Amino acid sequence: MTYYEKKPEKKFFEKELVDYRDMVWGCARCNWCQNQWGWNVKSAEFSEICPAFHEFRIFPYSGMGKMHIARALLEGDFDYDDAPEMLDFIYTCTTCGACEMNCQRLQDKEPLKVNETLRAQFVRDGFGPKPEHKRLITGVQHYDNPWMQPRSQRDRWARTVPIKDLGREPAQTLFFVGCTAAFNNTLWKMAQSTAMILHEAGIDLGMFGKQEICCGSPIARIGDRETFFTIARRNIDLIHTSGVRQIITFCPGCYRSLKYDYPEVPGLPKLKPAVYHAAEYIAQLIDEERITCHNTVPLKVTWHDPCHLGRHCGIYEAPRRILRAIPGIELIEMERIKDQAWCCGGGGGARAAYPDFARATALKRIAEAQKTGAQALVTQCPFCEQNLMDALAQVQNGMQLFDLNELVIRASQKTKK
Amino acid sequence: MAENKPRKVVQKRLPREVYSALKNVVGERWIYEQRSVVETYSKLSIEASTFLRKHEKDPHLLPACVVLPNSTEEIQAIVKICNRYRVPFIPFTNGQVFCAPTNAQPTLIIHLSRMNKILRIDTENLSATLQPYVDYGQLQAEAMKRGLWNGGCPLATSLCKLASQYSFAGLWQTDLKYGLLNRNIVSVKMVLPDGEILVTGSRCIPKAGDFWEYGPGPDLLGLQRAAAGTSGIVTEITVKLHTWVGDASFPEIPAGRPSLVDVHEPKYDSPPAPLKNHKLYWIEFKDFQSQIRAMREIAHAGIAIGLNATGVYSAFYCSQTQEMTIQRCRTKFFPDWNCYVILANITSDQQIPYEERVLRQIVEETGGIFLSETHKPEVLDALKPWNYDCIRHTTGFRMNRKMYANAWLPVGPLDSAFETTEQWKKALDLFGECDITDRGGADDTPFVYALQRGHFCFFETDNYPDPVLPEEIKKAQAFGIYGNAVFVTHNLGPMLMAFLNVEPLTTMFPEVGPNAHLLMRKLREVFDPNSVCAPGRQVFTEEEWRQFPEDIKAAVNKMRAMHNLPAVV
Ligand SMILES: Cc1cc2nc3c(=O)[nH]c(=O)nc-3n(C[C@H](O)[C@H](O)[C@H](O)COP(=O)(O)OP(=O)(O)OC[C@H]3O[C@@H](n4cnc5c(N)ncnc54)[C@H](O)[C@@H]3O)c2cc1C
Ligand code: SF4
Ligand code: SF4
Repeated sequence: MTYYEKKPEKKFFEKELVDYRDMVWGCARCNWCQNQWGWNVKSAEFSEICPAFHEFRIFPYSGMGKMHIARALLEGDFDYDDAPEMLDFIYTCTTCGACEMNCQRLQDKEPLKVNETLRAQFVRDGFGPKPEHKRLITGVQHYDNPWMQPRSQRDRWARTVPIKDLGREPAQTLFFVGCTAAFNNTLWKMAQSTAMILHEAGIDLGMFGKQEICCGSPIARIGDRETFFTIARRNIDLIHTSGVRQIITFCPGCYRSLKYDYPEVPGLPKLKPAVYHAAEYIAQLIDEERITCHNTVPLKVTWHDPCHLGRHCGIYEAPRRILRAIPGIELIEMERIKDQAWCCGGGGGARAAYPDFARATALKRIAEAQKTGAQALVTQCPFCEQNLMDALAQVQNGMQLFDLNELVIRASQKTKK
Repeated sequence: MAENKPRKVVQKRLPREVYSALKNVVGERWIYEQRSVVETYSKLSIEASTFLRKHEKDPHLLPACVVLPNSTEEIQAIVKICNRYRVPFIPFTNGQVFCAPTNAQPTLIIHLSRMNKILRIDTENLSATLQPYVDYGQLQAEAMKRGLWNGGCPLATSLCKLASQYSFAGLWQTDLKYGLLNRNIVSVKMVLPDGEILVTGSRCIPKAGDFWEYGPGPDLLGLQRAAAGTSGIVTEITVKLHTWVGDASFPEIPAGRPSLVDVHEPKYDSPPAPLKNHKLYWIEFKDFQSQIRAMREIAHAGIAIGLNATGVYSAFYCSQTQEMTIQRCRTKFFPDWNCYVILANITSDQQIPYEERVLRQIVEETGGIFLSETHKPEVLDALKPWNYDCIRHTTGFRMNRKMYANAWLPVGPLDSAFETTEQWKKALDLFGECDITDRGGADDTPFVYALQRGHFCFFETDNYPDPVLPEEIKKAQAFGIYGNAVFVTHNLGPMLMAFLNVEPLTTMFPEVGPNAHLLMRKLREVFDPNSVCAPGRQVFTEEEWRQFPEDIKAAVNKMRAMHNLPAVV
């Protein structure tokens, strides 16, 4: 495949390494995949952007390194037996997309897509993934969730929340909860507060409850395309059968999967209902005054852009609009924000297989947050929250962690007289 | 039937005792010799020959091992081991140029990525002391907070490390006023090829401090200047700082570019203009003669901090995709004959108004016309990426989207621009172009940097082949060899050989003349008796010579003859 050869129209999940041949040969070694875009650098301390390179300091961990590895594999310069270590390089990547963002901006190349294609090839050839990832895949295959939790527990979070079960009665809007917040009771508040806010705003909200199945995001990122395709098809069937008109989710992984990954799966029907992330939906409800933030929440906060929400899907402003709408909240930005945000370290299967690396990355984000003088870190992603929560427990620096909708609930709740 | 499997490329290994000795220095975590690791230290950004050798599956491009030291002392210990066992080593930062191994012996890469601290910013003596992995972007961010900056940034982007730039080039868009990086160094601390530590400048006098680039006697400040890592490893560098009159940080540009949705919207590339206390002017001319005349007048008038002509580079830097670049070249969207001028209020608020008056007079006299709201506003709008890039360069690398495989980079007085263009046209007729962008510098202005108040300039014309097509890369290589022969025969002054490291034409930036290789040879004998520090670079080894293709050998010998040097056999 040469630079100007017309590329066959292929969906992302159909592509193989050979489809990226011109890109991997053309990696310019500019190193922008490891660093903050030049105009955004505000200090030496926070000038890097690839968590994996930052931690390990050698090139195979960076987007550039993956391009080089992919080139050599593609040309047969070495194979799996010669380089078993590369499994770690390819999987110590949070799929944060920072490399792809900067590379596309400058060089028109796609190091993250190359990395995900490498992962898919590894899985196809039985070379990958890591054992920890195999467990996630088995979980999805047997339990419909990566955490191997019984289906019967999936709706426990909803016992105190007014929400319809779509298995029993129809609703206009599907609340797609996602596996992580549904099964981890420390994260239930995310699902509960989102459902409460939407209910208060008069949204006709339903959930699949015990029938909900994983969106497939972790499986797609790990590279098991076959399992992901099956999951995607099942989800589309389930959603279409339910007759819902729109889908709201607060999990950026689910959001990206439903909205952007499913259309990239070959041969799948188009998902008919519109998909919204809770932040964009709730920001709109606030604009329309269907939610009023009348209570003061006196707090200095800083917003952590989840990679799958921001860089991957372009939602940067909605959460900030929500925070600005809450009286008493003072939003102080960190140095690395929006498309140049530093990842929490929890995504792409990195937390499952490399927990120390995931925690070290989260600690760096917390240090950056602390420099702003904020009292609390606010975000909206179950993976980010889990990972940041663990790191905060380790440093115990007094910084609080909130889900965005927890603050909206506080601000909008009617006070009992 | 035998399976038709591609040939593997197998790296050499260091002897085990060398490996153990190195491991003892850096610790187990910071030494790597796995196949996939060394791969990422073998293919470079540019250099036709390296790419061709990758296509040919040449194993000598692969280093044997990579170490990541964390201090001068660790580097010294590593270098001593290399001398003891005669192991070649190469200092490595980003790896844009000139750091892949070139010879057959197992080679060690010394990657400096852990040494990334700004050690000091001295606001009284106006200097900053940096470890070798500190880049321009980091230094500028910290210095600007203190009302200072280092005076420029290379097109090769703000990610270039200052230590490697000192070792390679150090050419900025603000050279007109501030000079090259080489003229902005206060001192360096280096581990010499034999493991000795060298400190230059006033800093080598006990308690004197780091304020003056000279010592009391002869000094070796220039030893590593443009030597491409052949005379040691810079472990600390102190650079001069100048007054910065802009804001403490760059103004926020529209962030929030979704990577999945629409990645190429020009608005995310369009920072606001102007920077506080800076003004950028674009001027179009009717022909090459008036452009060069105007540039000479502007330089000699003593105004401006930067003066450059961009030619085809604007089509690269200001286009969000390669397709857009090509389209703009085809339609000649950007003016053929142009230059840009950066003015700054450094001494007073009246400096820009005064210098603007002078500039306007010169432009009028030379028949130029400013791009403005009334003259080609759409072009002026498209040029917005330069608004910051004229100070902190990031988009320079766009010329590398395909492959930046050969460059003619002659240095000389402004009038040599005409000769560059003439010779480039001849080369295009001879070899043909790889892409329409190769015509940059033939049908329009070559890139021109006015250096040192315009006393001399730097010109650039390039080839951009497709990296997966060896035939195209060979064409670019031919341009390189031909170009050097032409420049030598016409006695046209030094030419940077970024892409062809063959003696005697390995000369670097203006700091060294066409005979630099002779000096390099002598330096190597004295400082690198075991020939272990980046051998094959600047002056090649016998082993490397043996690996050169016959046609390159013939071309080299022809050039050596021109310099009255004996032929290499
Ligand atoms: C598209 C493009 C545009 C360019 N434009 C410009 C420009 O406008 N101005 C300019 O000046 N240059 C330019 N260059 C050249 C580039 O700036 C230099 O290669 C620069 O020094 C690269 O920085 P690096 O950190 O990647 O160094 P590397 O490529 O890693 O190293 C460069 C050389 O320095 C040696 N080296 C590295 N670190 C040390 C050290 N600590 N001690 C001793 N030697 C060391 C290496 O062995 C190598 O020979 C351009 C290059 C490209 C590809
Ligand atoms: S940003 Fe892209 S082109 Fe540049 S080094 Fe990284 S992967 Fe290669
Ligand atoms: S996706 Fe993130 S962690 Fe992975 S290589 Fe790119 S920048 Fe690094």
